[in-house]
Amino acid sequence: MDEKYSSNVLSGGKLGMVEVPDSRLTRYIVLLVISKVLKALGIFESYDILKAVHIVQFIFILKLGSAVILLFFQKPFSSGKVISKRQWIKLIKHAVFSCIISLLGFFGLTLCGPLRTLLLFEHSDVVVIALLGVLFTSSGGGPSKTRGAAFFIIAVICLLLFDNDDLMAKMAEHPEGHHDSALTHFLYTAIAFLGVADHKGGVVLLVASLCLKVGFHTASRKLSVEIGGAKRLYALDNLVSSLVLLPWVVVLSVTTESKVDSWSSLILPFGMIIFSVMILEFYVEAICNTKMETLRCARYGTIALFLSALLLANFWTHPLTDQLRSMSKPPQQVSTEHVLSGGVLVSAIFFIMSSSILSSPSKKGQKGTLVGYSPEGTPLYNFMGDALQHTSQSLPRFIKDSLKQILEEYDSRQIFYFLCLNLAFTFVELFYGVWTNSLGLISDGFHMLFDCSALVLGLFAALMTRWKATRIFSYGYGRVEILSGFINGLFLMVIAFFVFVESVTRLLDPPNIDTDMLTPVSVGGLLVNLVGICAFSHAHSHGSKSCSSNDHGHSHHGHSHSEHSHGGHGHSHGGMLRATPRNKASVFLHVLADTLGSVGVIISTILIQQFGWLIADPICSLFIATLIFLSVIPLLKDACEVLLLRTPPEHEKDLNSALEKIEKIEGVLSYRDPHFWRHSASVIAGTIHLQIMSDVVEQRIIQQVTAILKDAGVNNLSVQVEKEAYFQHMSGLSTGFHEVLAMTQQMESMKYLKDGTCIM
Amino acid sequence: PHELHMILLFGSLNLLCTGCLLMWCSSTNSMALTAYTYLTIFDLFSLITCLISSWVTMKKPSQLYSFGFERLEVLAVFASTVLVQLGALFILKERCVYPPTAHIGRLLVGTFVALFFNLLTLLSVRNKPFAYVSEAASSSWLQEHVADLSRSLCGIIPGLSSVLLPRMNPFVLINMAGALSLCITYMLIEINNYNAVDTASAVAIALMTFGTMYPMSVYSGKVLLQTTPSHIIGQLDKLLREVSTLDGVLEVRNEHFWTVGFGSLAGSAHVRIRRDANEQLVLAHVTNRLLPLVSTLTVQIFKDDWTRPLLTGTLTASSSPSGAALTSAEGYPAVSSSSVPPLMMSLGRELDPLTSTPYKPSSPPPEFSFDTPGRNVQPVVLPNPGHNTHRPYGGLGLTYGASPYTGMLNQGLARPSSSLGLGIYLKICGTFSRRCSISRMTTP
Repeated sequence: MDEKYSSNVLSGGKLGMVEVPDSRLTRYIVLLVISKVLKALGIFESYDILKAVHIVQFIFILKLGSAVILLFFQKPFSSGKVISKRQWIKLIKHAVFSCIISLLGFFGLTLCGPLRTLLLFEHSDVVVIALLGVLFTSSGGGPSKTRGAAFFIIAVICLLLFDNDDLMAKMAEHPEGHHDSALTHFLYTAIAFLGVADHKGGVVLLVASLCLKVGFHTASRKLSVEIGGAKRLYALDNLVSSLVLLPWVVVLSVTTESKVDSWSSLILPFGMIIFSVMILEFYVEAICNTKMETLRCARYGTIALFLSALLLANFWTHPLTDQLRSMSKPPQQVSTEHVLSGGVLVSAIFFIMSSSILSSPSKKGQKGTLVGYSPEGTPLYNFMGDALQHTSQSLPRFIKDSLKQILEEYDSRQIFYFLCLNLAFTFVELFYGVWTNSLGLISDGFHMLFDCSALVLGLFAALMTRWKATRIFSYGYGRVEILSGFINGLFLMVIAFFVFVESVTRLLDPPNIDTDMLTPVSVGGLLVNLVGICAFSHAHSHGSKSCSSNDHGHSHHGHSHSEHSHGGHGHSHGGMLRATPRNKASVFLHVLADTLGSVGVIISTILIQQFGWLIADPICSLFIATLIFLSVIPLLKDACEVLLLRTPPEHEKDLNSALEKIEKIEGVLSYRDPHFWRHSASVIAGTIHLQIMSDVVEQRIIQQVTAILKDAGVNNLSVQVEKEAYFQHMSGLSTGFHEVLAMTQQMESMKYLKDGTCIM
Repeated sequence: PHELHMILLFGSLNLLCTGCLLMWCSSTNSMALTAYTYLTIFDLFSLITCLISSWVTMKKPSQLYSFGFERLEVLAVFASTVLVQLGALFILKERCVYPPTAHIGRLLVGTFVALFFNLLTLLSVRNKPFAYVSEAASSSWLQEHVADLSRSLCGIIPGLSSVLLPRMNPFVLINMAGALSLCITYMLIEINNYNAVDTASAVAIALMTFGTMYPMSVYSGKVLLQTTPSHIIGQLDKLLREVSTLDGVLEVRNEHFWTVGFGSLAGSAHVRIRRDANEQLVLAHVTNRLLPLVSTLTVQIFKDDWTRPLLTGTLTASSSPSGAALTSAEGYPAVSSSSVPPLMMSLGRELDPLTSTPYKPSSPPPEFSFDTPGRNVQPVVLPNPGHNTHRPYGGLGLTYGASPYTGMLNQGLARPSSSLGLGIYLKICGTFSRRCSISRMTTP
């Protein structure tokens, strides 16, 4: 059933990897699950220990302990190749990186608690690589992988937003002096600088260090081959990193006093952590990776780990903490310790789903397009699609080229500069708004940004117009301008509608508008738009005045929309502007509407400021909305006519007289199917069929007709010249089949064969 | 009239429902419900489109709108999809600016009322243009994901495959998905008082609206931009290659093919022919080839140097009818079986060294690659040629045009099989046509 509907080609015949049935691997799966449960236990315990022991000391002990055990098992010095000096240097680098990653991981543990750390940090490499593949490459591997990536992101967001962990409040209270060392202090200040709560900082930190970890594992693969096996590398790495950490630990233990009373009581927990987190998990993973596929190993391991973490988080009573607390401090209420919340539960479910989706083997074979059938009848596929996609140019190159193209031509250059000015003003406004915490300014900034989208659309259309014609766009891309004009017109209509609705509701209940911020912002906006007017005054006689965009009671944004989008719109009709007087009229209407609108805003501002007539504002909005609406209608009508392939109205007369002239050409009998339409600003296309007498030379007629229609403005013409012979041929060709069919049926019934008659 | 009544009835119901919903939107202050209401407004647009399309079918082409009003349908589809997307854009913008706090109020009631009316409208009014677009446009991301999920679901319960596969109706899908996300919003606000969920669900509905409408507006926009539909290109290429192998044709240029409304193709092309070819005959053959696919066709035939008179003399007189005169004498079906023209062209080339315009060097090889009969079969000159000439045509006429025109979308599939049949057939009677053409050449 699955294969029946999927369009993949290669998996159809079970060509892919053959999966070993689970039953043969039960031993390994059980082993994996046990090791993961133990690991979860170990992490929970290390969270408790980390409350007493300094993080650097903790990591040092872990590394040292595991190094001793691994030296005993692995014997890295007595067996294998001799390690050269260069390899030692590489090893030291490797060890430093691994120390940094474990520091980050365990620091995240102190911030987020064990459950959240396990959820975030303990993802398998394959999962993370699949995730990154979906996010950053175009060929992610089908919609299911995309879903997995979306689940992962949702899970992280759930942890960030919906997880109201009670401990955060407590953590936020702690004084700066609490921090044990320079390192943790530095990390804390870094997180505080980011402006998020500690636990959210921890989430971000853990995600970042997860990516680091995966990258580190991938990078260290080469070294492990050089050294002679991953296990030997692991043993040596633990040894070297404990040596690297040694001086730091010595300095620490000399300078700070330890909070731990008796190290002897910690020996057992430490042993347990070293065994479960560092050694058992490593060996079990190594075995399982060789016995099963990595993907399946990752799937089972992650699910087991997350489920056990959830269970532990529910039932773990922090025995060690109580023990430690009873020694040092009076007990606090334990219930506030990173409890299970709804958000965490949801995100754990999402994490489990995403890791099982991302680690499932991608069944998608390569997608091919059906080309045809071979002589034997088997379908033929074409796999060229991917190869062709990758030849597209890079993004920076594309931006550079299009910028160059924009700056080449006068019109688009003007729009571009105006757009830049607008954007700059918007961002100044936004930053100032954030700085002074003024909601009005921020919202106005967003409105301006929204308006710029119309400008961008116009600019992009102007850019596209210059692209070369392709098979699909056989006339060239000129018509894109008209379509973008149409979209901009719709945009304006929608804006007018919204302004209208809002002003009606305000008319019923006029709100208070404080006009304090109005003056400076409106002056700025006026300046920007004055520049815009100057820039556009030559090319298009309507630039924009946007005093209205500055009313931060956001009632008049409609107006600001109007003129920015007019900017784009005006351009998109730029070519037609020269050609059609009607467009000029509509553009003039636009300018009029703009001017009236801005005057209206100024008046309403004055009225509100001087007399406190709050109702002036919605009335002005109504007025403006109506004006926009009325001025858009002719523009939309014009664009519609072009899109509906109407005969261009400005050429109607010329075309009619041209057709009359054509009829009078010597030898022409009549014409039929005359189609003339404006394709784009510069192209008027036409097709016509002519019937001529049989003794006239066709090419001469074509020449004459082309000349006549060219005078009438048609510059892309096809003339089909038909003589009487054509119709005879056509009737022979098209009706021949049916006639012959009928005839042969007759003949069959009569059992009489008459040779090829009556074809004509 | 019956349909018209239906449309008007549903339109008024829709207006009523939209009014109610807008009231509830303002009372609950929920952005998600507003985003969902826009879908109801979209239904209104689609009803209007339906109305337009029924009006269009009655309208005849006028002098100004020479292609007829079919495009109005396309324009209506485009406008309504773009308007809904702009509405979604407004929702997203409003989200950035003022995040309000939503109340429960009539959220659930509104959801179900809207869902019910939308589904009722969708399922009871036959909306031709939107049905066509939703079939023809590429599937949206929502559809992709649902199809992927339901594929694995159908692996468990095969009975569902008739409902869920290959892809669901996008409008039904988005209505369901929107209602689902609104229900989740309601639950979360009711239980946990998470007001942020309203924002999230509004954004999700807006994104889904984008995803659903975007492929359709791209499809209808491409029709409006007068582009060649990409699913036609393969077929067109094949026909043009056939055309360029016709006798006397040198090249085809300036070919423009585009769709007038949903479905019917229009186009024009310039065909350059040899100086000595018969224009009307070539025109007839080119038109005959392209007309089944392109209903509104204009072919301009042109020659280079037509003012210069043709070389006169016995040699040209005997060689110029190499292709054109010969075929016209023989009758049509022989030419239209596609393997014959190249054959005759090659013969003409051998016999006609003085033709002023050179053969097009880049002219593609003969169209049918499987077992082109003219190559494999040994030419046999029969002693009594006049007797053979008439034999094959009845049969030839039968096979030619045997490929049924089954509509634009599936013609690409229908084509190969028919051409295969033609090829097999040609194997049988290629000998005859070959023989007779040679016999004609040899008898001056």
